[in-house]
Amino acid sequence: MFQYVIRRSLLIVPTLWAVVTVVFFLIRIVPGGPAVAALGTYASEEQIRALEHQMGLDRPIMVQYVTFLADLCRGNMGKSLITQRPVVKEIAQALPYTIDLTVAGMVLGILMGVPIGIFTALRRNEMPDYFGRVGSLIGISMPEFYLGILLMYVFAVKLDLFPVIGGGDLRDWGSRLYHLVLPAFTLGIIMTAFISRMTRSSMLNVIVEDYVRTARAKGVTERMVIYKHALRNALIPTTTVIGLYAGILMGGSVLTEIVYSRPGLGKMMVFAVKDRDYMTLQMVIVIFSAAVFLLNLLTDLLYSLIDPRIEYR
Amino acid sequence: MKLRYVTVFAMVFLLVGVMLSASADAREQVVRVALKASDIRSIDPDYGTTTIDYACIDPMFNALVRFKPGDIDPEKIQPDLAEGWNVSPDGLVWTFYLRKGVKFHKGYGELTAEDVKFSLEKAANKDTSGFAKDFDALGKVEVIDKYTVRLTFKEKVPSVLGLLTDYHGGFIVSKKAVEEMGLEKFKTNPIGTGPFMVHEYVPKQKLVEVRHDGYFRGRPLLDRVEFWFMPDASSREMAFRKGEIDICEGEREQAWVDKMGKVPGTVIDIFGPGETLTLHFNTSKKPLDDIRVRKALAYAISREELMDFLGKDVTEPLVSPIPTSYLGGTTEVPLYTYDAEKAKTFLKQAGLEKGFTLKEVITEMSDYRRPMEQIQEQLRRIGVKVQMDVIAHSAYHGQIRKDVNPIVLYVCARFPTADPILRQFYHSKSIVLTPTAITNFSHYDKIDNLIEQASRETQTEKQKALWAKAQRSILEDAVAYPLCITKFVFARKDYVDLGYEMKSTLTLVDTIKWNTRILEE
Repeated sequence: MFQYVIRRSLLIVPTLWAVVTVVFFLIRIVPGGPAVAALGTYASEEQIRALEHQMGLDRPIMVQYVTFLADLCRGNMGKSLITQRPVVKEIAQALPYTIDLTVAGMVLGILMGVPIGIFTALRRNEMPDYFGRVGSLIGISMPEFYLGILLMYVFAVKLDLFPVIGGGDLRDWGSRLYHLVLPAFTLGIIMTAFISRMTRSSMLNVIVEDYVRTARAKGVTERMVIYKHALRNALIPTTTVIGLYAGILMGGSVLTEIVYSRPGLGKMMVFAVKDRDYMTLQMVIVIFSAAVFLLNLLTDLLYSLIDPRIEYR
Repeated sequence: MKLRYVTVFAMVFLLVGVMLSASADAREQVVRVALKASDIRSIDPDYGTTTIDYACIDPMFNALVRFKPGDIDPEKIQPDLAEGWNVSPDGLVWTFYLRKGVKFHKGYGELTAEDVKFSLEKAANKDTSGFAKDFDALGKVEVIDKYTVRLTFKEKVPSVLGLLTDYHGGFIVSKKAVEEMGLEKFKTNPIGTGPFMVHEYVPKQKLVEVRHDGYFRGRPLLDRVEFWFMPDASSREMAFRKGEIDICEGEREQAWVDKMGKVPGTVIDIFGPGETLTLHFNTSKKPLDDIRVRKALAYAISREELMDFLGKDVTEPLVSPIPTSYLGGTTEVPLYTYDAEKAKTFLKQAGLEKGFTLKEVITEMSDYRRPMEQIQEQLRRIGVKVQMDVIAHSAYHGQIRKDVNPIVLYVCARFPTADPILRQFYHSKSIVLTPTAITNFSHYDKIDNLIEQASRETQTEKQKALWAKAQRSILEDAVAYPLCITKFVFARKDYVDLGYEMKSTLTLVDTIKWNTRILEE
């Protein structure tokens, strides 16, 4: 197991290298550049060229690439080409908000999605199953921003229970949680839809298996049959889905961040693309890729906890 | 029984607490402004070019002179940090006498002539300013004594006071702060003399400014101003309706004005100078190198239809490149009133009666995209097909400077005299793809003399006549078609008193001044 973790961890280096290389060249192919964005529309050609020189963007692309990789190896993430602030500082300020939102959305998705999936599977083709299926279909189809605005309108504007804007004060947990409720439910509801569907279909496959029938025949209580024999086996595909979506959630929460005016890495990434802020974009992608990689590793390790037959060597 | 008493006591305690905190909130002198932006670019006044930058910069800085709050009429420019000034007979030497006792933020000391010299030299230096070109004519800045500074210009400038006003490079910064912090840190922690100073910056969320007690006009009435970066229109609207936001940037659409006007306790501010929407015809590209084709396009466009589409309350017609609210604006130009038949006749004369296709890029920003879609439809009626690729806004500005578009839609606001627009869009030195390029997308080079003569002219009436002649020439040659002016739209809670009457502002937002306040109920 330990060896497996080391082996997988070593793979992160070539994976990240491949990702940043693709991003590095791709963003430079796209028309537009950071100098116009940074100087504004008043700038003359002469000023644009001067700033590009200052940013090192007039050097051959391979020179820029090697410099970038060398800086990255030394842990130097550079400065935002637009705000001129160190990228590491900007990421450090946004990361806690992204982690809050991703974790809270994920936890809500699991807490609501798994029980709903089990319940609808056990009540197959009954009223709760129909409701569950229609509900999850709506959840999957509903755009994140639309759900966000809907929740905001009902729970913040009409009922005045939660705030509309901001991520709260990072030093104040109460404020952070208060600002997190609606955005977390926005993501959590969508996650619930995915997780409940996957849990339901896995459970439906498992509960007709011989070992479940055997357990029932031996007189094991229904609760034990469901939670110990069936659910444990049904959780493997659900865990895969959760692992995959956790990564997507980190970067994909951008619309939720925009709707609720929260800081976050997703928002940072999208606006870095718009402004052609190469340095910020590259570093945010590095963070996302590393997070996805680690989440996948964690998911793989969880398999062996859920199903002891799975062994890593 | 005891438990019941404890519960009742706790509830009363909580209720009183909530009420006390609510009443404390009611007295809070804080204004929260939501703007359509993802973040600030720079709040160093020599680099700020976006609306959010302007909004944050204005309350932090002063200049030697200023526009009357809420009115950008150049003839109403007032003293600001300078108490007075005198000018040499040739108009090239200006001596300014500074107010005494003006304090910079955060203990950076008293404003002196050294700060003014440093600030203007910084504004004029292309390595430290985005507006250096505006100061090309500035020769030298001399410190005469602690409170007197002398500016010598190399040549006549259309409006020296305009250059030195509270806009772009005119703002005065603390020399000591820039030298201590370095320019990079100064970009997010600038030090000025204005009524508010930077307190907190949360990237991608907000910038908070707090009161500067040492402000020379008096203690600011607000304790704090928060500028929220909120790119999503629905979120801004929700936050405004809920009362979390007091001033909200609106959409420049009639439907938005009508809808928000009905929200109780809301004042809709619609103000100028607005932004000019102008189509620039690229005379270096076929078939627009033929004046008959350009005239055909001009006659095919219905300004009235476009204004109906964008909204009557938020637009006004623009018949010449320079709005009439600017010094030098005129309406005495060829008007090209909509006439589809005439347009078709011109196309026939040019041998293009079957029409043609133009390939364009356009930004995704609705201020550009929506009018351009309307133009696309209008041109379709005379057989001109416009194929549009929608791209990111910064990419659009990059591409139009690479001369890719046969027609460029440009939306802008400039200092309210004719010179900046004529110089940046119609002077041969500004033609795109040249080393001195700015934004001359039409490749027009026939009015350089008029622009230069006007800038040297000392008599206003003669200057206006030269500018009017230049505008007539632009339209006679049909190198541009002015469409309309779109005004700025904001929703404001009626308990926010701006402290001045808002008619027009170059900050493009409901600007916060030292006497802006929250009215008591």
